[in-house]
Amino acid sequence: MTETRQLTLPIDEPTIRSLNAGDFVELTGEIVLTAGLPTHQRILQYMKDGKPLPIDITGGTLFHLGSYSQDTASGFEVLYINPTTSTRFNAVMPPIVRHYRLRMVGGKGGLDRACVDTLKEVGCVYLSFLGGGSPLLSDAIKEVKAVAWEDFVSHYRLVKLRVEKLGPLVVGIDAKGNSTFETLTEQAKQRMPDILHDLETERANSPSSR
Amino acid sequence: MAITYDQVKSVSAELYESCLKKIPEDTKEALRKATEAESNEGARKILNMMLRSAHAAESGNRHICSDAGVPVYFMKIGTAARLDGNIKQAVSDGFDHLVATIQPPILKHVTNPLTNERGYKGKDMPIVSYDLIDGADYVEIVCQPKALGSGRWAALEIFSFPTLETIEKYVMDCVLKAGSQHCPPVVIGVGIGGTFDLCAKIAKQATVRPFGRKNPEPILADMEERLLKAVNKTGFGPMGTGGDTTALAVHIEYTSGHGFTPVAVCFNCWINRRAGARIYNDGRIERFE
Ligand code: SF4
Repeated sequence: MTETRQLTLPIDEPTIRSLNAGDFVELTGEIVLTAGLPTHQRILQYMKDGKPLPIDITGGTLFHLGSYSQDTASGFEVLYINPTTSTRFNAVMPPIVRHYRLRMVGGKGGLDRACVDTLKEVGCVYLSFLGGGSPLLSDAIKEVKAVAWEDFVSHYRLVKLRVEKLGPLVVGIDAKGNSTFETLTEQAKQRMPDILHDLETERANSPSSR
Repeated sequence: MAITYDQVKSVSAELYESCLKKIPEDTKEALRKATEAESNEGARKILNMMLRSAHAAESGNRHICSDAGVPVYFMKIGTAARLDGNIKQAVSDGFDHLVATIQPPILKHVTNPLTNERGYKGKDMPIVSYDLIDGADYVEIVCQPKALGSGRWAALEIFSFPTLETIEKYVMDCVLKAGSQHCPPVVIGVGIGGTFDLCAKIAKQATVRPFGRKNPEPILADMEERLLKAVNKTGFGPMGTGGDTTALAVHIEYTSGHGFTPVAVCFNCWINRRAGARIYNDGRIERFE
């Protein structure tokens, strides 16, 4: 289960559907990322207006990763990347994933049930990135392909990178309707009565209560 | 001699930078131990990645995480400390200096809550709280940048004459609600008693307590131990991959109050940002984690 699978982008639907929640993967190829809610709102507006995005994401990826980009004489430079909490994008993900037939989304913390269902319908997975893994994740950046919407603060821009062996990342939500986040929360809830019972026993036996 | 504006300014900047690039030694040690004890293979892999990331950041002078957080400082002023210059301004200027000079640059996280606009500056930033230490001839500064993941899941509820059982159940509710959103394994700070504001403050301060020190009150020392075990039975594991390592420590502080008893719970993510220094009248600067 903890073998790390090497995946190359762009990736086809059958490969995506073969992944299981809990799998470890590494990515090579081109990815698109942003950490901004305003960015997602602008994407929704472009969809509504039928305008093409400055960076096409059709059949590709949209990761919740923040990045520090700066304009240099030789073009944009991206100094580092790192995931941000995905749950705050819950409401905007289903229409975006559907419209662009995304194959991979990701960040940290997972997405809600409505998103899990959308991922299953479209054939898309959610990848969990290590929060606090910036040096390791940033080492995978090989080239900055494009940076768009520079009017936003750095981490809200839409950024396209070529990466090599980005990861390891964990499949947090697969395209079969499984979410490790849901499973673990469910498991914790089920364990809670026992945990509370143990606490009660330990309280009764603790040296300070005698 | 006296404690100068320049010293406080440079120490404020240094502590912040250190929080961004270096994980406290005791925390790395705790992660190492957790790796050995962890029964879940995926979780061990994540813990190892954390240690590699910590090493890469420290040795390569890089940020361990892109969310540099917002500046939070706890300042304690000794009543025998001699202050020269505007010490309050020095902390603020120290943060400005850091923003202007740090390499690689940090992202803009200071947010206006009314407009959601972001920048490096904002109303009442940095967030500094002040206390006095009777007789001490130094100023102590502890820095703990707060990022979204580590700040978002804090909670407080006010109970009326709660039992220990009620308090512990509430902590577990908060743990369940946070799940793995706060980049576990976390340090959990719990405050019990006082008033609304004081309770939140002691919970926060509990998260900067170094590992291995129990609360001297036996009731709380026992509670810290059993809550840590309880949290690690939930099974969320590092970064929510499943496993035995959801928290590295539970630190609890209490204070007396009325029968309305606030209970506050807050978290520090696995990178456990905290750095401190004491600046003495004679010019000495002592750093600690
Ligand atoms: S909560 Fe996670 S993403 Fe946020 S600062 Fe901590 S490690 Fe980084």
